[in-house]
Formats: sequence, C-alpha cells, structure tokens
Amino acid sequence: MTPVASTAPAEIRDPELDESTDVDRPWIVVVWNDPVNLMVYVVWVFQKLFGFSRDKAMKLMYQVHYEGKAMVSDGTREKCEADVARLHAHGLWATMEHPS
Amino acid sequence: MKCKGRPDGSVDLVLDPAEADLLRDIPEQLSRLYEAPPDDPALQRLFPRAYLDPTEDRREQEWQALTHPELLRERLARLELVLATLARSESKGRRVKVGLGPDEVAAWLAVLNDARLAFGCRLGITDDTDVNRIEADDPLGLEKSAYAWLTMLQGVLVEALLETLPE
Repeated sequence: MTPVASTAPAEIRDPELDESTDVDRPWIVVVWNDPVNLMVYVVWVFQKLFGFSRDKAMKLMYQVHYEGKAMVSDGTREKCEADVARLHAHGLWATMEHPS
Repeated sequence: MKCKGRPDGSVDLVLDPAEADLLRDIPEQLSRLYEAPPDDPALQRLFPRAYLDPTEDRREQEWQALTHPELLRERLARLELVLATLARSESKGRRVKVGLGPDEVAAWLAVLNDARLAFGCRLGITDDTDVNRIEADDPLGLEKSAYAWLTMLQGVLVEALLETLPE
C-alpha cells in the first residue's frame, strides 16, 4: 500500500531508506476513551476486527475506559494504517504512533 | 421498542411509529453531516486523524487521501442499507415490525454509533452526562431523549450480535 504523494514536499532523505531502518521497531495502534461509545459496542468491534477472545476484548475495553487508552494492535506502518481505518469506520477514536 | 435476537445474530424489532420516524431521519442527517465543512467538530470526530504525532502531517495527508473516499463510501452504503430495511418494514396499527439479518444489524450498529457520536458532539456529552435525567425546561431535552433511545437500541442490537461471537 503505497500512497500516491502528488503533493508531498521534496525531501533530501530517501524515504525508502527510512522505512527499511524501521523494520524492527513496530508502529502501534492506540484506542482512546470516548464518552459516547458503548462498552459492549467496543468489545464487539474488538472481537470482530481483530478476532480477540471475549476476555481479551473486555480487558482492552476496560483499559480504554479506566486508563484512557489501550494499545490494540502493532506491526508495520501499512498494517497499522489499515487497522486505524477499520477502527474509524466503526466510530472508534484510534491513532497510530511509532514509539522510540 | 421490542427486540428479539436469534442465535445467528438476526433480530426482529417492533417499534412505535415515532421510533421508526426517528430512525428514518437519521440517514439524511448523517449524509448531510458527511458533507459538512472540514472544521465541523462532529465530522472531525467521525473522520479523525490517524497519526498521533502532529509533525507527521505529510503521512497524515497521504493516509487521508487514500482512506477517506473508501470510509465515506462505506458509511453511505450503510445508510442505504438502513433505509432499505426500514422501507420493507411492516406497519400494523401502532406497531412497525422490522426484521434484520446479521449483516444488517452490523450496519445498523455502525449507523447508530455515528448518529450518537454526532449527537454527543452537539449535546456536549461527557462521562458524567446522565441523559436519562432531563429537566422539563431543558432546551435540548428532545435531542437528549432521542440520544438516550438510540443508546438503548444500540445496546440491545450489539448484545444480539455478541451472542454470535465466542465467549
């Protein structure tokens, strides 16, 4: 999944090289707490999108609710971009980041 | 409202005419919201940023360009599905009966969630908001009771689908 970057600014660094150095350092996807989304709905979305057991989905949902956020997936940048899109399609507030 | 779920995730709903009318209004309101100016808070909540780091703006723009059309198409298709299920509902006296297959229940869940997120932005819902306690003179009383009813319906429908997933 390579985005078409028609409006990307010129770069001196080669982005391909940046990518290859990131192989061992996964991106992570974080879901944030939200006052609207129902707890049971969040559990259902986690099970449906990621195939989690009920226990794991409940645990992550409670972590989102009580700690404000939870990491729900990790992997390559492309995988995390796709996971974030699936979560947004279901109305969950998700972001991705690259922990150092 | 009455709801009867089956083991395969399909659901039979019985609604009051006023409840069915409320649901019929939602697709039009949401499709209008999807075309709102980009700085609309409810629209921003439905289509949030992917990249947490604000300096990742180039990747964010690329991601938006790649995914926004698909996310919008998916949302519009769900609205069509909800309208189609309501269009085939049967009215008997003051009861409107709607039968939903499992995929239709899933589409309803996502549409109800978008509607509740939009209401939540407009009503300023927080973790402490209790929409089940509405003062008689509350100017937002009608919207709050609509939000509370949509919340109840979404809860009932999601329970029906959770039954189909492994414990």
